[in-house]
Amino acid sequence: MAMIARKQAVQAQPQGATVREQLRAMDDSAVVSAFLGGEERAFAELVDRYQTRLLNFIYRTIGDREKAEDLVQEVFVRVYRHLHRFDRSKKFSTWAYTIASNLAKNELRNRSRNPLVLFQTVQKNWQDDDRPLQFEDSTSRPDDMYRKRFLREIVEESVAKLPEHHRNVFILRELEGKSYEEIAEITDCNLGTVKSRLNRARNSFAEIVAPYME
Amino acid sequence: MDCREFREQHLSYVDDTLPGIELVRMQMHLTECPECSRQDATIRRSLMLFRSLPRIEPSPDFSQKLERKLRDARVADATALHTGRTRRLGAAVTVSSALMLAYIGLSLRQVDTPQDIVLPPVVALAISTEVQPSSGPALEMIAAVPAGLPLWTAALYAEQTPVHFASIESTSAR
Repeated sequence: MAMIARKQAVQAQPQGATVREQLRAMDDSAVVSAFLGGEERAFAELVDRYQTRLLNFIYRTIGDREKAEDLVQEVFVRVYRHLHRFDRSKKFSTWAYTIASNLAKNELRNRSRNPLVLFQTVQKNWQDDDRPLQFEDSTSRPDDMYRKRFLREIVEESVAKLPEHHRNVFILRELEGKSYEEIAEITDCNLGTVKSRLNRARNSFAEIVAPYME
Repeated sequence: MDCREFREQHLSYVDDTLPGIELVRMQMHLTECPECSRQDATIRRSLMLFRSLPRIEPSPDFSQKLERKLRDARVADATALHTGRTRRLGAAVTVSSALMLAYIGLSLRQVDTPQDIVLPPVVALAISTEVQPSSGPALEMIAAVPAGLPLWTAALYAEQTPVHFASIESTSAR
């Protein structure tokens, strides 16, 4: 009888499914529960899921890649330390983005107070231009490549020109695909404010980019 | 629909969250207003451009750095827990020492105000009316005895002064 039960239990498990594969199949809430239940590999799964998304969000918000990586790591350190206090009835994604948004905001605030830090950031970004572009296609004609690089820079500069509170909402909606309600929770604003800021951000961005799109 | 209303609803229009009838009104306005139509096209193209920005990937040493920071965080948390416990223990020892010292101090104060010291006996002397008051040393001795003069000095002058015990006199008075 026991042998039959054991056979059935083995058959119930997907063939060759490792712990990581099982974690990958779970939703965020289940992964969080697994981690809090003692499965350390569950935290690595959360990092895998969110590291790129958070990196892009913070990078587009503050414009400094190296600093953005530091801040993403800081997000995960805080998640690690405080996950036991996280309200599991809420979305993990919203919580992680809230931490990221606050860290990005603090970074921008610190920069605006410290001209030396601002200068060093600008200088470093100039040097970053020497690195190969990620979407450069070596088979393209030279003038096409120039146009793409030029356009990419224009788009990035246009986003950077948006006021901070507009930029935040704009990136969360247009790049990260967050709903208005999620954005309201992440930025600690009401729904009306989110919609108003998003509308203005879209209009401002279009106005800046429009001459280069002709 | 006028241009102002169109602009107010444009966010929901682009995000396709308008109810059917409002959607139709917006589309009607676009066919009638070249300015709003141009603005709508510009916004949609710019959003398409922005959404197609290449996504950046974490650098190759990202995981290594993160692991190091998590390790440091674990050590820091363990140290903070230990320090917290040590501080609480130290505070408890300090408080109990202070209480002990306070108790000892109070106990010493009680010893300073003696409760059990026995005063020397005072000899009460009643002066007989028959005896002429002496202005000599006997009277001075009588005055001095209640103040604590030793008995033997009183006894020296006792035979000079007749002694009447107050209790005998009060008994005979009854």
